[in-house]
Amino acid sequence: MKTLLLGMGNPILSDDAIGVRLARDLAAQLCGEEGLDIVEECSVGGLELLRFLEGCDRAIVLDSIQTKGGVPGDWYHFDAEALRETIHLRNAHDVNFATALELGRRLGISLPREIHILAVEIEENRTFSERMSPALEKAYPEISRAILEEVRAILGLGEPRTERESDSAAVSRASRVLR
Amino acid sequence: MNRSIRIDPITRLEGHGKIEIFLEDDGSVKDCFFQIPELRGFERFVVGRPIEELPRIVTRICGVCPACHHLASAKAVDGCFGGEVAPVAHKLRDMYYHAHYVHSHIAHFYALAAPDFVCGPDADPMVRNILGVVAKVGLEIGGQVIRARALAQRIQEIIGGRATHPVWCVPGGVTKGLTKTELEEIRPMVRELSGFADFSIKLFREVVLGNSAYVDLILRGPYTLDVQNMGLVDDQNAPNFYDGKVRVVDFLGNEICKYEPREYHEHVAEHVESWSYLKFPYLKKRGWKGFREGIDSSIYCATPLARLNVADRMATPRAQEAFDEMFQTLGGHPSRALLANHWARLVEILQNVEMLERYCADPEITSDRFRVVPERITGEGVGIVEAMRGTLTHHYTCDERGICTSANLIVGTTNNNAAIQMVTKKVAQTLIRPGKEPDQGILNMVEMAFRAFDPCYSCATHSLPGEMPLEARIYKGGELRWHFSR
Repeated sequence: MKTLLLGMGNPILSDDAIGVRLARDLAAQLCGEEGLDIVEECSVGGLELLRFLEGCDRAIVLDSIQTKGGVPGDWYHFDAEALRETIHLRNAHDVNFATALELGRRLGISLPREIHILAVEIEENRTFSERMSPALEKAYPEISRAILEEVRAILGLGEPRTERESDSAAVSRASRVLR
Repeated sequence: MNRSIRIDPITRLEGHGKIEIFLEDDGSVKDCFFQIPELRGFERFVVGRPIEELPRIVTRICGVCPACHHLASAKAVDGCFGGEVAPVAHKLRDMYYHAHYVHSHIAHFYALAAPDFVCGPDADPMVRNILGVVAKVGLEIGGQVIRARALAQRIQEIIGGRATHPVWCVPGGVTKGLTKTELEEIRPMVRELSGFADFSIKLFREVVLGNSAYVDLILRGPYTLDVQNMGLVDDQNAPNFYDGKVRVVDFLGNEICKYEPREYHEHVAEHVESWSYLKFPYLKKRGWKGFREGIDSSIYCATPLARLNVADRMATPRAQEAFDEMFQTLGGHPSRALLANHWARLVEILQNVEMLERYCADPEITSDRFRVVPERITGEGVGIVEAMRGTLTHHYTCDERGICTSANLIVGTTNNNAAIQMVTKKVAQTLIRPGKEPDQGILNMVEMAFRAFDPCYSCATHSLPGEMPLEARIYKGGELRWHFSR
């Protein structure tokens, strides 16, 4: 099974960098896994994403998100169906993710059957900086650990969790699986 | 008490923009504000860094038009190092940029503009999108759109090493040339894109011009503004997207000024309004005169249509034919019909593919003299290119060690900020009247006003949208009376 892991975001726009940073860290941990391709920095969206996804069986997208009332550092696990509700939201120059997928499927492009979107709630993505906001920076080690664990579970790398990790209050507090 | 309609966020517009329309008690439009948040601190971010790094950093300003920033920055940095650039490097940069234009314009036309015309401006939002377009015009065309974009992207990759975040331009030239083998790979792609450009013009002719209601909307609808035009031109006053002088022409066709990029600060200034994060550029010598139309207005547009309005001719023959047909249909040159921006994009694509063909036939294009290594630091440079969505200016200074001491950017869409405000209000006032309550169709037609500009504000952020439904709310007496969203 061919899996693509994409780190989405802008590495110099404060918290927007988190997807890229996670992908880089995961690449260090997971490099050499058979069938896993990692694109550490992907800053395109919409139709352009089809180019990356074509020919993959499974995709894992690491990204940032802002929701009403969200707590920076919380993270969510969506599948592509969960994004379907946003199908009619578009950006200025392209279509959104769900629309691109739907178009690609109608056009017969071979797209992943399984799409996992791991999105971290962020605070600041309007100011250019190589540093993330203090809250996210502080939470980052836990987020990184939890996301790595989630990705390993998706990949079926069934290494048993350590007691410390499975009991981690921070992880269970941070992770909300929205399927 | 006034009622207000709020649309937040705007569909098809990246970032969290909103339009606020304030109604009088009788339901007519009192005022309309178009507001978007601004990314902060880029100019500060680059101060203190080696100036030659800037072309590689500025591509992160915008995920939509990184090549525009890369090239404008490269030209500004060339200036900081004395300005000497290998001639073939200019050609390669220009060639790369034509491919970038094709890639961007195709997306805007088919994914964003076409739904309004193919599906209809007041069609159900559930079908008024690229999926609706494909359902109407056929899956095969959808496949061609994807393929044409992929070809344009591949051409950029071959020429510049990367399509999205190029690291290719360096002071005095580029880091790699184009080999004969690479050129052979590009040639058939250009031929295919050339056919697609012709096809797109033909489609526009059939779908839009073949419908008298759409022609009326373009020519006689509220989507017109009596403001001035700005764009880069070559020595023959033909559009040049990568290089040239900035020409400003009024809406009757009289030249107001024509200047070198380094003189930009004498001609453009920026006005500040307390209610807007973004500034409002205007023609400095005329002074800020408010959001007013008229032959003496200091407001200008910098759009595809504006670029053709400031041009006396196109640089290539097929584009010239399309240019002639367009302005003949529009009732003469220049034109104030802002919806014709969609048509102007297709005319520009023709020039893009013809220029790509020209470069494919140029024996110098595979030269290995693609860089002149600079030997001096002169400390200041201004680079101007035509971003797809407006004239893009980068102005840098550096110290004697080549460390950046200041940066000033006027990005494409910002040029059009005042015009977007004005036309959005104009359309809202025309369509929302006493006894005519706003509905999805009307709100979409208000959005069409600024969509014509292909505005781009916060392209660098890729956060998932979260809870961002399009919603409209009507308040009366301070209470929410009516609400819908999509």
